[in-house]
Amino acid sequence: MQIAEKTNEGLKRQYEVTIPAKDLESRIDAQITQVSGQIRMPGFRPGKVPKNLVKKMHGEAMHGDALNSAVQEGVQKLVADKKLRPAMQPSVALADDYAQGKDVVFTVELEVLPEITSVNIEGIALEKLVVEPSDAEIEDALKRFADQQKRFEAAPKTYKAAQGDVVVMDFVGSVEGEEFEGGKGEGMQIEIGSGRLIPGFEDQLVGAKANDKVKVEVSFPEDYNVAYLKGKPAVFDVLVTEVRQPQDAAIDDTLATNLGLESLDKLKEILKDQISGELQGMTRTHLKRKLLDHLAANHDFDVPPTMVEAEFGQIWAQLEHEASHEADPTAAVAELEKDKDEYRRIAERRVRLGLLLSEIGQKEGVNVTQAEMNRLIGQEAARYPGQQQQVVKYFQENAMAAAQLRAPLYEDKVVDVLLDKAELTERSVSREDLQQAIEDDDETPTGHVHGPGCGHDHHDHDHDHGHAHGEGKPKKAAKKTAKADDAEPKEDAVKAEKKPAAKKTAAKAEADAEPEKKPAKKAPAKKAAKA
Amino acid sequence: MAKAAKKAEIALEHYDVILSPVITEKSTQVSEYNQVVFHVAKTATKPAIKAAVEALFDVKVKGVNTLIAKGKTKRWKGQRYIRSDAKKAVVTLAEGESIDVTTGI
Repeated sequence: MQIAEKTNEGLKRQYEVTIPAKDLESRIDAQITQVSGQIRMPGFRPGKVPKNLVKKMHGEAMHGDALNSAVQEGVQKLVADKKLRPAMQPSVALADDYAQGKDVVFTVELEVLPEITSVNIEGIALEKLVVEPSDAEIEDALKRFADQQKRFEAAPKTYKAAQGDVVVMDFVGSVEGEEFEGGKGEGMQIEIGSGRLIPGFEDQLVGAKANDKVKVEVSFPEDYNVAYLKGKPAVFDVLVTEVRQPQDAAIDDTLATNLGLESLDKLKEILKDQISGELQGMTRTHLKRKLLDHLAANHDFDVPPTMVEAEFGQIWAQLEHEASHEADPTAAVAELEKDKDEYRRIAERRVRLGLLLSEIGQKEGVNVTQAEMNRLIGQEAARYPGQQQQVVKYFQENAMAAAQLRAPLYEDKVVDVLLDKAELTERSVSREDLQQAIEDDDETPTGHVHGPGCGHDHHDHDHDHGHAHGEGKPKKAAKKTAKADDAEPKEDAVKAEKKPAAKKTAAKAEADAEPEKKPAKKAPAKKAAKA
Repeated sequence: MAKAAKKAEIALEHYDVILSPVITEKSTQVSEYNQVVFHVAKTATKPAIKAAVEALFDVKVKGVNTLIAKGKTKRWKGQRYIRSDAKKAVVTLAEGESIDVTTGI
């Protein structure tokens, strides 16, 4: 096998590889010998088919196989010989005039990972913003919590329903004198002011007493989801069976004991833990952001353009997807278009940081153990109740998906290592300041980064730029932000660094090029979209 | 066909004589003695087979041996029936000649 270098500029390399026809021939022969033992053909006992006959029958297919594996091995050998660390799957092009029996000539084009020689991780000084959960916040949380626990109790018969009350009712609805499908119900509970019914319906129930009969006249909204009811006026005969008043749950020990806790203090403690967990998450996000900024500022090296392109493509697809959910998709896309350069810069930064982090991780000997991997898979599987088995199996069989799962953890560990080495100065700040700080140094100094609060609609898969979203499940939110932070090292980068030799199988190549190809229901796809 | 044309004219009946090559372990074995086995028409005579092979494959034939493999008696739903007989010809080629039977005519 001969290898000739054709171009070598920047990170790009191009080689021409020649494999003699004889090599290919011997490859095919070896395959035939191997296969002829099992071939069945009428007129012959199994395994007694003469080789030339086998060749005649299956020669074409075997030639293709042999050519394929020869080329693959050639590329592998090339990478090994030249000690290349390819950034992406090398692209291989067979010479046009190839025919059976001729020498195989093909060109390999690839981009190598940059040599990161001067990794400077010592003496990083960072400011750690610490927030102590304040009493007021705990009180707030407690109050919110109590609100959620509020119960409704039956009001006296003479009580007139008001906003915020729950009305239990039987109703029959009709449009133009005729009852319509789904327009009938018994014992329905509706909270006045919750806006769950057609606009106007709830308002007309205000003032109703138990056992009242009310005629409610409303018209269906134009965008109602049943076509033939759109914009039609309707009359509902409503019989109010009961009016219920909300009872605020008092903040006392009973509230706690109802939840199976010992006392109110215990509940407060739990809430405090939750809040501080959330705050710690924010602190860490901020710290990490600073750290990454620092790294990005201190390291400058060429980044393989294809990786940037892939990353950019991902961001772009994600943004476009989001834009398509907007009220006015074309306008949203147009707006995105304006910021295209910005996003490209973000992509480059991400790739650079990803490479840098994995490089540092390698130097520092960071690795993810099997046990941790199993835990991750378990967590992932828990998100698909009823299909845990399949999910676990999927991750076990699919190295690519597993790598994707591993990447955030790996990154987190590297960050931990770096933070250990860094000089941290603690500073107490308020929650608002911290939030502000996180928002301030978003990854693009000049401003618009697609994050919460930039006027776009972020439905459930908002891509966190590190804002722990307040209430809900604070711990989880915090964790997610840490994970989905913007500098997620690209899986390919990590992988490329980890096992350059094992990387070249065709299957992986495909997966590499298009991570989003995975079954949509699987989590990694989601994560990839989020990164 | 062009290649056959230079020696012997191919007549249509030649195709009726030679039905198909016999490709089996045994037939592969006899190829060692420069012999080729064909299924031939049941009415074909040795001279006819010789002429057909010489015309179709453009070779020189040294001799032809024939045999009729009697059809087996089989039963199907209790009824017996007999499979068709088949005539085979073992054609010995002159030295230096060869036929690649797998390529077909």
